[in-house]
Amino acid sequence: MATGNGTLQGKVAIITGGGTGLGKMTALLMAKEGADIVVAARRVGAIEQTAKEVRDIGPRALAIPTDVTDPAQVNNLVKRTLAEMGGLDILVNNAGIVRGQERRPLWEVTDEDWRIGIDTNLSGAFYCCRAAIKHFVDQGHGKIINVASGNGVRGARGDFMYGTAKAGLINFTRVLATTFAQENIQVNCIAPGFINVFNLQPEPSTRERPGTSPFIPVGRFGVPEDIGHLALFLASDASNYITGVLFANDGGGLAGGIAPTGYAPVIAMEED
Amino acid sequence: MVAKDFNLGGKIALVAGDSKYWSKYAGAALAEAGADVAITARNTKRLEETAEEVRRQGQKILAISTDTTDAAQVQKMVDQVVTEFGRIDILVNANELLLAKPFLETTEAEWRRVLDTNLNSAFNCCQAVGRQMLKQERGRIINLISCLAERGVENFSAYCAAMGGVLQLTRALNIEWARHGITVNAIGTGWMSETDQTGAPQEELLLKYIPLKRYGHPGEVGSLLVYLASDTTDFLTGQFLYVDGAAMSHL
Repeated sequence: MATGNGTLQGKVAIITGGGTGLGKMTALLMAKEGADIVVAARRVGAIEQTAKEVRDIGPRALAIPTDVTDPAQVNNLVKRTLAEMGGLDILVNNAGIVRGQERRPLWEVTDEDWRIGIDTNLSGAFYCCRAAIKHFVDQGHGKIINVASGNGVRGARGDFMYGTAKAGLINFTRVLATTFAQENIQVNCIAPGFINVFNLQPEPSTRERPGTSPFIPVGRFGVPEDIGHLALFLASDASNYITGVLFANDGGGLAGGIAPTGYAPVIAMEED
Repeated sequence: MVAKDFNLGGKIALVAGDSKYWSKYAGAALAEAGADVAITARNTKRLEETAEEVRRQGQKILAISTDTTDAAQVQKMVDQVVTEFGRIDILVNANELLLAKPFLETTEAEWRRVLDTNLNSAFNCCQAVGRQMLKQERGRIINLISCLAERGVENFSAYCAAMGGVLQLTRALNIEWARHGITVNAIGTGWMSETDQTGAPQEELLLKYIPLKRYGHPGEVGSLLVYLASDTTDFLTGQFLYVDGAAMSHL
């Protein structure tokens, strides 16, 4: 049985990239609050496993193999969701990939590398939003949660496609929020920091001591739960006046920036 | 209602400061999620209103009359809260004094009063409560401010400067206390009203700027406040998050 407060009872959520990591944790946390889940990603084994775990919690689940860079497959994902789940209320655009840019000089990045990077991290979200939003408009409500990255806010060395696409996704969020605010569709963006996606079981105490992860102010990597809970908050009706907002969930890194940790001079106030 | 994982049962919250809207709604939201609440302000009517809301949720309430612009009074108040409840898990700085005047007509006294209420109160409360949270190696500080911390507008120079100050205090404290289990975030509120604004003098003008085409209700800040105060946000710190009907998306 779902064990939460039922804040997403009767809602249907599509989660792309839902087979592993942040997407999987988001699926499970939303299921605990009662949402039926459609898991979409390329790897069949992974999405079926997530779907099984959702069903073990209680709600219905559907695993639909989908490559989000293919508009036809995305359209089919939304169509099947509506037909088989009977509705769609929440879309989490979590699919993304870092590929083809590993410390290469810009002149060695091929057209194909560029296209794949932008397609997976930006166009995929566009295809999903385009397919879902007409339905949201018709029913008079909808929630879209885009998962971007801190690399979409600041420049990272050599990060050409991923960072650029994620920056595009952040502003796409604002454009959608502004355009569809009156249709009661809320569109928000999460920028995760460094997340340990292999650790699906959160540590009992998630705060490690100083000395670890020197570039993250809180001193540790994030866990998928950090992001999943934020997505859960943004998916609920309790956040209906919040739209077009970027939620960086990164252990404090972006807020510090210039000297995230380790540089803390104490200087007496100058006398005249 | 918020998701079960955001439950604040057993937590102690302090809502500090004078503002037209925030004490009552912040206190009510935190209490509804299960926190016991201490509130402090100069205005006794607001203290009573908030106390009533918290009691209605069945939670413990401690109301202390304090001028939060006075550091000594704040320290005394914080000591009293810790004596009564044993700890402080959540601090909400909710100070807002509005002043809308051309810059050249703003007197030094007015400037000081706006800075005192909107910025220096937050300094006093963060310092006194921060000491306690550092001892606990855990805490949540949430500064309730305006989106004008990040945008300029005519006739609001003092207000913008003060709110911007609280925003940068948020980001700096985030870094300073991140390793001590204390998160520091700010909520930026857009145009809010407790009442229906249909036909009000500036309604049409302001609605132009809000994509959602309605004012927010102060109660709509409550869910974000509860989420940020919960145990699920250890990794979310130093952020400025808007509750504004998409205003900041295009303004």
